[in-house]
Amino acid sequence: MKAMNRRKLISVSAVLAVASLAATAVPAHAAEVGVRSSEIKLGMTLPMTGSASLGYNKIPGAAKAYFDYLNANGGVNGRKITLIVKDDRYVPTEAVAKTNELILKDKVMALLAPLGTANVKAVASSVNPAKRGVPVLFVNTGFSGFADTKKYPTHYSILPSYQMEAKIMGKYIAENLADKKIGLLYQDDDFGSDALAGFKTAGTTFAVKVPYASGSQSSATAAGWITKFKAAEVDVVILFGVTSASLYMLATAAALKYAPQWMIDSVGGDSTTLKLAGVPAGVLYNAIGFSPVPATTDLTDEYIKLFSEIYAKAVPGSAFDLNVLLGMNSAFMTAQALKAAGLNPTRKSLMAVLNTNGASLFNSALSPVGYSGTSHVGLTGEWVGKYSPTGDLLPIGGTYTTYITDSGAGAVVKSTYKRPAMPAKGLPN
Amino acid sequence: MKITSVKSRAIALLSTTALLATIVVAAPAHAAATGPTCDGKAPVQTCTGTTSDGALYEMRVPATYSGTAMIWSHGLGTNAAVPAGLLPIFPSGVPIDPRANVAPGNSADLANYILAKGVAVMGSGFSVQAWNLDEAVKTNAELVGIFKSKFPTTKKIVAWGYSMGGGITQAFAEQHPELISAAAVINPVDGPNAMLKLLGDTLWLFKTFFDPTIKAGNYTAGKAGDMEMVADIGKVLTVLASLQASMSTGAWPATSSATGKALETAGVPSRSALLLIGLLTGQSTQSKTFDNISGPEGALKLSFPLAVSPALGVLENTATALSYGLFLARDIDQKFGGLVFDNTKTDYSAMLSESDRVVYNAALSGNTVINALLGALNPANPGAPRQVGNPAAMAKYAALYNITGKIKVPTVMMIGLHDPVEPAGIVQRIQDLYVDQYAAEKAAALNAAKKSRAYVKPTNKLNVVWSVSPASWTKFTAAGLPYAVGNTPGTGHTNFTPANYLLMIDTALKAAETGKLPSGGAWATSVRKAGGLKIDALTSYPYMKYYNQ
Repeated sequence: MKAMNRRKLISVSAVLAVASLAATAVPAHAAEVGVRSSEIKLGMTLPMTGSASLGYNKIPGAAKAYFDYLNANGGVNGRKITLIVKDDRYVPTEAVAKTNELILKDKVMALLAPLGTANVKAVASSVNPAKRGVPVLFVNTGFSGFADTKKYPTHYSILPSYQMEAKIMGKYIAENLADKKIGLLYQDDDFGSDALAGFKTAGTTFAVKVPYASGSQSSATAAGWITKFKAAEVDVVILFGVTSASLYMLATAAALKYAPQWMIDSVGGDSTTLKLAGVPAGVLYNAIGFSPVPATTDLTDEYIKLFSEIYAKAVPGSAFDLNVLLGMNSAFMTAQALKAAGLNPTRKSLMAVLNTNGASLFNSALSPVGYSGTSHVGLTGEWVGKYSPTGDLLPIGGTYTTYITDSGAGAVVKSTYKRPAMPAKGLPN
Repeated sequence: MKITSVKSRAIALLSTTALLATIVVAAPAHAAATGPTCDGKAPVQTCTGTTSDGALYEMRVPATYSGTAMIWSHGLGTNAAVPAGLLPIFPSGVPIDPRANVAPGNSADLANYILAKGVAVMGSGFSVQAWNLDEAVKTNAELVGIFKSKFPTTKKIVAWGYSMGGGITQAFAEQHPELISAAAVINPVDGPNAMLKLLGDTLWLFKTFFDPTIKAGNYTAGKAGDMEMVADIGKVLTVLASLQASMSTGAWPATSSATGKALETAGVPSRSALLLIGLLTGQSTQSKTFDNISGPEGALKLSFPLAVSPALGVLENTATALSYGLFLARDIDQKFGGLVFDNTKTDYSAMLSESDRVVYNAALSGNTVINALLGALNPANPGAPRQVGNPAAMAKYAALYNITGKIKVPTVMMIGLHDPVEPAGIVQRIQDLYVDQYAAEKAAALNAAKKSRAYVKPTNKLNVVWSVSPASWTKFTAAGLPYAVGNTPGTGHTNFTPANYLLMIDTALKAAETGKLPSGGAWATSVRKAGGLKIDALTSYPYMKYYNQ
């Protein structure tokens, strides 16, 4: 090994410094994985096929629709966004394999909107995006743990946590259904644990709690759940699970003519998906639901109006629903963060933007985002609604009353948040 | 750990226990070394002899000898012979085999590849089998001395070995860096404590749930004890067959403990209990047949990989791990005079990682079932009595050499991601330790440079390659039954191709010659061409449970 003397060290350092300066001055020569002079590559894994894909498989099409719109309007500082989508079928091992492909073969700059607590955790522990410095933007799960910047420094939550949602449900119950017997159906994993923690904080008590193992939902298991709720003579049944759990429960309940007051969580309560899968609108009618974003039928909302127009052109014939809106919303926030990350965005500069200014990114939600240097909490609240006779979730009384809270012991309060006006044409400014 | 006598040696067992006992008696621990006696043949002469501890050795030296020699350390052998016909998995029996090995599986092709380079090969059969790390390091050191005396032009020695021999090679390099110039460490065992935890926990959990009559240690002395161990292997295989047959129904084996039967009554599927054993012990859920991704066409397309395949993967891997493990348990009993595994203070609940609890939640049947299973393993449950070790035996065991992971000579390592006997975390830990070691060496070099005004960058001394599996590999018959296709890289025990071994040989020899390991594009190209291997410094494979990570 030849020794390098100090003079050589100095000259090498000087060359590197000059090269570094040159790189920042010339956008066309970006040197970050997934960033080229004309393109930024992002990757997404989520269930596109199989029973767990119900509704969620519209998210990539929605995000692409927004990115195509953005690209047609100049992209991000002249770079087009390319979204590479891989089907993980909601199987953790497959999510690991597909994410490895995205990072190692496709060489994406960042991961966008991966779905499912188990899948995101599997990827976090096996692929280790944190160690690789790969941003994981706007994860599609309400598990509160992903907001922990120590454990998941490159993950950014977007959905209100399941704890928050359970606390908001608990407040609604305390104020409106205090004399009713409540039953709870929940997924028997971190999803459900988060919910149970929220209900405990809210002081909600249950006549019966029915857990189901993820993947076990079917018409037969739903019939078993109903037997338990009937035996406990509950007035209200809370469905705190994924869409397929809500689907089997509501469809089976309709067949068995079981009709309690339903209360449905946001991730399992998209009415378009449920109706397309066979749940009669009449079964949904008057069910209580929750959402962090405006009603998808509310064309008076500037985001809903613009996004639904973009989506209709990109994916003709496909209904504009909650999954679509959330997908487009994440794409819009991504575009803004990339633009703010500089002429030559890097993974580090992208995350720096989210850590310092992420909370001020424009988006359609009716509650604020909680990003900071020490927290990657996403949206912090939801409004309460009821399903209409046609099965659409609408705000109670016709106006949005949004409740905000945290994933801890904080109170649930009415939000005073006033959403800023959408930037012109829904493009990053 | 590879039982070389089973998989690698073609000569059938000629003798029974009596003859083998004779061999042991005829090889006292401190006999004088014999040989080397050389046949003087060309182009390769073969020399044989015994080291002072009675280990048979062999050297093959080409006429074109360059001054470099490779010393091979073979995998796990047994000190307890199993006659033919007793176990279906070992139809030819398992002999005590003291013969020398000079290459993986004593492969003539690999040995000849090395000899053609003008490099000599050597190796011994070791004086004792099973857990022989301490004895084997001494034997190797002595053998190197004998070789150098016989062939005084020798300049470089490269140590290599796999499985138990991989651990021996690493320990040899740690203790005698002055004797070797480079090392190739292939799916090594970890130190005795980490391996004991893997083995002991697996056996205890298995018997606690599925068959409390499995002895898993405390065997009777002598041949009768060997047969008790054989009976244990038979029981384990019977339970595994029962579990496999009831994968879909979740029924528990008829031999299950009262605890197991109570769990069955509570609706806990046996497949979830089996999977939990794998997750608690750090066993891979992916195996030769099962990838946890594929499912048969139809209704099970999604539920099979989510809910069933992980348990089947553990089942397949556990069959391999326990077959080896029981031989080791028998040996440890004999060698140390009693049980050395003690789990009286083990908190099994803490051994299920947060990640595994979530990722495998469906296959574990949800948190309620997980909590029921972990509750059954609580020390307060009289139906799950803990194993109390023998203090004297434990003290003797504690004196064994523990692999430190310190890298003192240029070393190339290779391991399969889903090896059922040596988890990938063994190499992960060493790789992580080396990151710290290199940082310390760099800091020291920078400090030295302050005085000398010349910075000398430390030389990298560790290259790691991982044998990785493709995206998916399970296939299904038209009837929906899963089957394995070929030897999928990264699965099974010591499942490497000849090209993989050649990479190890070439890399270690080059490092011995130049003092440097290959790097950059040239190294990446070599790894890619070897097939099924990956360089990956950014993925963290879980450490063995002993290290609580």
